[in-house]
Amino acid sequence: MAGKRNIYRTGINVAIFILLEVAALGLLRRSSTGQEFFISKLSHGFIGTVWGWSQSVGDYFALRKINENLSGENFALQTALARAGAAADSLRSAGAGAVTAGRFRYTKAEVVKSSRNKHHNYLIVDKGSKDGVTSHTGIISANGIIGIIDSVGTNYSYAISFLNSNFNLSARIGREGAVGPMAWNGRGLSNATLREISLQHKFEKGDTVFTSGHSSIFPPDIPLGLIEDSRIINGSTYDINVHLFQDYSAIRYVTLVSNLDRKEIAELENKEDGK
Amino acid sequence: MRMNVVSFCLLVVAQILICNYLHVSMYLSLSILPMLIMCIPTRIDTVRAMLIAFAAGFAVDFAAEGVLGLNVAALLPVALLRRTICEAIFGDELFARNENFSMQKYGPTKVIFVLAIAQALFLTVYIWADGGQAQPFAFNFIRGSVSFLAGLVLSVPIADMLTKEGRR
Repeated sequence: MAGKRNIYRTGINVAIFILLEVAALGLLRRSSTGQEFFISKLSHGFIGTVWGWSQSVGDYFALRKINENLSGENFALQTALARAGAAADSLRSAGAGAVTAGRFRYTKAEVVKSSRNKHHNYLIVDKGSKDGVTSHTGIISANGIIGIIDSVGTNYSYAISFLNSNFNLSARIGREGAVGPMAWNGRGLSNATLREISLQHKFEKGDTVFTSGHSSIFPPDIPLGLIEDSRIINGSTYDINVHLFQDYSAIRYVTLVSNLDRKEIAELENKEDGK
Repeated sequence: MRMNVVSFCLLVVAQILICNYLHVSMYLSLSILPMLIMCIPTRIDTVRAMLIAFAAGFAVDFAAEGVLGLNVAALLPVALLRRTICEAIFGDELFARNENFSMQKYGPTKVIFVLAIAQALFLTVYIWADGGQAQPFAFNFIRGSVSFLAGLVLSVPIADMLTKEGRR
């Protein structure tokens, strides 16, 4: 009798375990593929608001040290500005607020919190809906791609970092070379892998990899890194190891870039998918 | 500090803070959640332990990791096998008499062994679910080993505090 009860109890336990585990893996699948999943959005909104705010509180108490650093940076910037002359003037006027160039709108922002030692890293930037930021806004710097805004609060936004194993970017070898998806390799902060480059395409070690422009989020021709080495996969394509220009351990000031035509492109894509 | 609802919730909040502010290395995923599940009193049955594991994992995923389901998926097997692991190490009478384990009663070796099994089980699923399939074995192995040792070092004193019995 006791044996039967044990078997029955074990069966119930295993059934409930399977049910909960399937629910967990379902959550994980929907959350990590970057789909429009409302619980993910809620979570990212919460993290952006709470941890962005807590970082601001921490920063307030660290103001003295920051002021000292800023005065040092100020001196270095003044020197650089004096050297840059006219170019610096144009840069200064462009940096005052949002600037529109072609179909892209650029807004400067500051990263208030970032993780970089996980496999699903994120960033929180100090611009939110009151600054006109929307989800799927790209984050770039002079040295490459930083991430994509996923969830927007009033004052802060949560972004998925390029250092996230689910982040794929369309990249091109040189200005007119082969295009393929590029993703962080998950090991260290300085390398990514450009995949699915067919064998007929020629490239050399040291060639520059740029954004392809085959995305409605990032503008084309942003330099990303240099080719280090490559290997052939299944005898049909190259996987190329790219050394990134961006130092992800020192991100502070970034540029948010939104495609003014993104809505129209998304509507066209949805229309095609619906057919 | 005894294991109760308040201390459990406080330690889940501590885990959220660890996930948010302790960014030491890509090889380190520090977690005290498996220890927390193992320290749940024996009067709580496996089904309720799994529901508690689901809630605790979800809280950490929601408020800190940003990837829902990661801690939940890794914590559920620990909750499912909690009784089996405890009975294998401490004997059948632990659950039969609704007693709780402690270092005073069973000695540190057995308690550390139980926590080590829970930590290893948790990390195996966690690393696999956190993109481990796409990484080389050596990378996952180093990540697992570093996280295992760090997690165990942190878990043992907390488990000792949570399970310590008062003087009679």
